[in-house]
Amino acid sequence: MIRSNNGMFGSFGGRYTPEILTPALMELERLFFSLRDDPDFWREYQTLAQQFSGRPTPLTPCERLSKAIGGAQIWLKREDLNHSGAHKVNNVLGQGLLVRRMGKRRVIAETGAGQHGLATAIMAARLGLECRIYMGADDIERQYGNVFWMRRLGAEVIPVATGARTLKEAMDEALRDWAASFEDTHYVLGTACGPAPFPELVAYFQSIIGRELQQQALSQIGRNPDSVVACVGGGSNALGAFAPYIDQGDVELIGVEAGGRSREEGQHSIRLQEGTGEDGIAQGFKTLFLQDSDGQLGHTHSVAAGLDYVGVSPILADLAQRGRLTPDSATDEEALTAFETLLRHEGIIPALESSHALAGGFRRAAQMSPSEHVVINLSGRGDKDIFNVARAFPHPDWSAFLQRELARQPDFTTQGENAADVA
Amino acid sequence: MLPEKKPQELLVMSHAVVGYPSLEANLPAIDGLVAAGVKMIELQIPFSDPVADGPTLAHACHVALKNGGGVKQALALAEQVSRRHPQVSFLLMSYLNPLYRYGLDRLFIDAAEAGVKGLIIPDLPVEALEPHLPLLDKLNLAPIMMVTPVTPPERLQRISAAARGMVYVVARTGVTGSQTRWDAEFDNYIARLKRYTDLPLAVGFGVRSAEDLRQLRGRVEVAAVCSRYIEWQGKLGSDAAAERMAELCEAAGGMEATA
Ligand SMILES: Cc1ncc(COP(=O)(O)O)c(C=O)c1O
Repeated sequence: MIRSNNGMFGSFGGRYTPEILTPALMELERLFFSLRDDPDFWREYQTLAQQFSGRPTPLTPCERLSKAIGGAQIWLKREDLNHSGAHKVNNVLGQGLLVRRMGKRRVIAETGAGQHGLATAIMAARLGLECRIYMGADDIERQYGNVFWMRRLGAEVIPVATGARTLKEAMDEALRDWAASFEDTHYVLGTACGPAPFPELVAYFQSIIGRELQQQALSQIGRNPDSVVACVGGGSNALGAFAPYIDQGDVELIGVEAGGRSREEGQHSIRLQEGTGEDGIAQGFKTLFLQDSDGQLGHTHSVAAGLDYVGVSPILADLAQRGRLTPDSATDEEALTAFETLLRHEGIIPALESSHALAGGFRRAAQMSPSEHVVINLSGRGDKDIFNVARAFPHPDWSAFLQRELARQPDFTTQGENAADVA
Repeated sequence: MLPEKKPQELLVMSHAVVGYPSLEANLPAIDGLVAAGVKMIELQIPFSDPVADGPTLAHACHVALKNGGGVKQALALAEQVSRRHPQVSFLLMSYLNPLYRYGLDRLFIDAAEAGVKGLIIPDLPVEALEPHLPLLDKLNLAPIMMVTPVTPPERLQRISAAARGMVYVVARTGVTGSQTRWDAEFDNYIARLKRYTDLPLAVGFGVRSAEDLRQLRGRVEVAAVCSRYIEWQGKLGSDAAAERMAELCEAAGGMEATA
């Protein structure tokens, strides 16, 4: 399992936060360390994930797709079948168990694609907690479906309009909220980033993906897969899928980052490859950040809001530095092509984030032989991306429908009901 | 590190964000603060992700970055103002990453050379600071450590041992820029801190009015009026903001010294 050395993973990680947050992080760390080796706690978590989110998620063979790609056998680990539609709910359910033990009455979270915010809003509704979600103003526009459901679930969604108006700024705001509220509030960090113990804690809960996968591969394939491929935003779904294989050098681990529009500054979110991210300390931890020579964090772009982040998990930064992780990337266009390919060959609608893993996985599978096996972690489903996909592949029937639907909706424009979102 | 003061006097510390409202405006704004009676000034290096700052300072950081504020500009400004106002203590305030990229040891040397008396780095924890203490002591550059109402005793001890010059007392939980109360609980907090340190205490976070300063006088040595000043600077301009600061300095009892 993934263990830090006093919060560090090689030279990355740590806890670089304003002093005000130190006690809250220490409390969380003490609780987590007291539970993580307790088999009863893991069973409690597994039962919750089974009863509430339908786990274990299946490992699906993709026969027609594998033939079309013409290389290795392709398998999908189906995190898209989770309640809420993505792996994010695993971490949130786990942290929900911690919130109960700490007796806090309120939760906050940052979100990019809205999947983590949605999962947090679901957990808060189920446990009867107050819930506030910080989300970049641009991400709100990209993922409004999730915003709609978060609000219906009773969460307050706060648009963050500073800087690049995406995930980085949402995390800044969540940290500010927590500095004033930690006494009764838990910050449900959504990925394997941030100050210790979060990277380790989030990777621990997400390792449920890999633990299931390992069993399923042994019974369905008869051995370990040759490659495991996952998309990398903050790194939580990738670490979850990789967890049991990190110490098994014969399993290739491929992390696919967002190549965006181009390699030009501000046009992508690649942090793990040569000439992209550099050592930095921000948002409470040390990792590879996209930044300028003055140490100001850079701007990023991806068609997938959940991959549009300036830093990366310190655990993955360390694995990449040690050569254990093979970094790859897929452009916006490659992700959209892979999206269509899966849709048409297997009848599965992937999230745009996960479509990056597909693009990387297809590329790798094509270089391999039919006796080899590639598992792609399908981190989420694509329902949330209906507007983005409709824009990428324009269809007159959809645009005409939107016009008709607009005419049917009550008109709030003069009252400016949600004016704050677009401010 | 602290300027000369009378026993009951409350020194007023204020703020400049390097590049806000513009690089050219920093120098006259600092002159204005000094004329108003401010004895200590934080020169904040703007950062893209200032997580300990509320909306006022975060906004000022974003503007300052667009205007070209950074480590080099801050050092150049420090050199200028510390020569011009030798009776005032200038402190460099920055989040860690810009300094880390510049090179921490090199930054310490250059800051001391520029006449900077102390450093405030909100996201540098005591554990990460400790290895740098020998160099800082050699340079006579004081790391100003922060303590908060929730810092546990064993941590207070460790922080006090690393602190130099003064201890920055975060008056309440939260970020910069909102209100604080000076009640019995605050007095208990100060009394508790004095069991761990003999250094002067500077109170920040939520010091916003003349009344706050009258309340703090005699209880601590320094009061930091930072967000409030930057708010005035943004709304009213540097000159009018300095006039407001002069009123605050009077309430703190700091005017005599500059007369
Ligand atoms: C479906 C999906 N996949 C992947 C990610 C990226 O996050 P991570 O790298 O932490 O798995 C997100 C983030 O929002 C997501 O919603």
